[in-house]
Amino acid sequence: MLEIKNITKKFGALTAVNNLSFNVQKGDVFGIAGPNGAGKSTLYNLITGLYPFEGSIRFNGQELRGMLPHRIAKLGIARTFQIPQTFPSLTVEAGIGIGNYFGSQDGFDSSYVDQILKFVNLDKKRNHKTGQLNLLDKKMLMIGAALATKPKILMLDEPMAGSNSKEIISLMDLIKRINQDMGIAIIIIEHFMKVLTELTRKLLIIQTGTEICCGDPVEVTSNPKVIECYLGSSGDGQITTSENSNSEIHIGEKNAEKNLTGSNHAGGK
Amino acid sequence: MDLKRNLLLLTIIYGIIGILPLFFGSTQFIMHILIICLIWSVVASCWDLIMGFAGIFSFGQVAFFVIGSYASAIISAKFSVPPIFSVFLAGIVAGALGILVGLPCLKLKGAYIALVTFAVHMILEPILKGDIGRAIGTGGSRGILTIEPMNIFGYTFSSSQLVPYFYLMFILAIICSLIILMVIKSHWGNAFLALKDAEVFATCLGVSAFKYKLMVFALTSFLTGLIGGFYAHYVGMISTRMLGTDLFVTLMIMLVIGGIGKFPGAIIGSFITISINEMLSPLGSYRPIILGAMVIILVLMMPDGIIGLIQKIFPGRNREEARTIS
Repeated sequence: MLEIKNITKKFGALTAVNNLSFNVQKGDVFGIAGPNGAGKSTLYNLITGLYPFEGSIRFNGQELRGMLPHRIAKLGIARTFQIPQTFPSLTVEAGIGIGNYFGSQDGFDSSYVDQILKFVNLDKKRNHKTGQLNLLDKKMLMIGAALATKPKILMLDEPMAGSNSKEIISLMDLIKRINQDMGIAIIIIEHFMKVLTELTRKLLIIQTGTEICCGDPVEVTSNPKVIECYLGSSGDGQITTSENSNSEIHIGEKNAEKNLTGSNHAGGK
Repeated sequence: MDLKRNLLLLTIIYGIIGILPLFFGSTQFIMHILIICLIWSVVASCWDLIMGFAGIFSFGQVAFFVIGSYASAIISAKFSVPPIFSVFLAGIVAGALGILVGLPCLKLKGAYIALVTFAVHMILEPILKGDIGRAIGTGGSRGILTIEPMNIFGYTFSSSQLVPYFYLMFILAIICSLIILMVIKSHWGNAFLALKDAEVFATCLGVSAFKYKLMVFALTSFLTGLIGGFYAHYVGMISTRMLGTDLFVTLMIMLVIGGIGKFPGAIIGSFITISINEMLSPLGSYRPIILGAMVIILVLMMPDGIIGLIQKIFPGRNREEARTIS
């Protein structure tokens, strides 16, 4: 469905995305992970037409290169952002209506907006201004507005960021329902390995815009290259998927300092 | 504010304005002030639509008003077009120029749009006064001194009897206000607000920033040009004096007093501003100082203007919901 072939994006001397290629099939849940500044969000910006790029991105056979973001949305590619984006001047219902009216190829359908409001559990807050919502509801609204465009593929950018364990469970359940009940393919950027191993069928790890490895999530997380990418070359830590912690990437104490100083990280986003 | 509350407020505002000639119909000066208030209420509402709702810092509203005035005066004089049609054509001319100005602005953001649109305002005066202006019939520095009065179905509106003029402008203001209200409360209006609040997210949901920003430029400059055309036929003479900073600042005060992005605040703001301005006229050069001081006090005490105050007094549904959340 989505074929990404040799895409590269440079910002001056910085190569944010370097010759990346991967495919996402219908109904897939595809994970993307990597250290901060690896180029994950930039990759989303390329797919959604926010930045020009070299290479090719095809969606259902149609080339997206050079296409404007609103046209890509209408083709059936929706996305969310790491920092929740809402429309403070609009009500929750109007915010979701924006997605349905402007993004759906089928035209505006108020009953579909109602369905989405219920789906993301915001039907009781439909008349609230979005500025009044808490963080979880803002994320739900952002996902709801994206779903209202009736996408074929939904790209989630760190949906769990800043969430507590209860909210993470609720968001994971929502993502599963989007994929299974609505049949929408999902691409998810996430730092929490537990989320990625539980939700995704394929996981891509990138660093400084370059692919480190791609494949089965469990295999990928035990790949030495991935461990090195996260923990450094002398890594004696391991990537675990703890049930009780929000910070899913557990690192050995020796390497914690190294990781925090960013010595293994790519440049800024 | 929802559509019902907006319509109720508009009905109250225009209901009050509509009966004023019953009390002041014989006083020419007051009727003239009321007509001027109605004219500026539409211009201020248009400015509020583009700046307050769409978040585009366009400073070209007075320029489009002047373009509409000159266009209608020239079209009616040169091509013998009845004023009722030339006013409409003036709106189209201003709308087309609005699109031309809007196109480069789509590549810009915030203060840069303000600079470009204010540059249009600034270059308009030398163009109208210069050779190009004279060639198209602007009258150069002198302006256009004899403009045909409004004439509909053989009835000529006279400056000696202002009540008919008042009701003509009253109907025009109601039509313009309803158009603005319909736009604000439609999906277009939501698109304007969405682009103002989170442009990247809005475009990723399918909103074409290009289309809707250009649309708001076209609509506001069309309505402003149309009202400019009416103004030219009402006052009978126009010059580039309108492009001075006085009018520009007064319009901005109207928005601030009414509440930016708080339709129909601009209508209330225009009536209050013009009334205060006239009442302070005996103070001569002290007038702008006192008006400026009043604006500072109002901004500090009521940052959301009169409409913000009304919303505080009558909170309605949203406030109740905010309480529920907390």
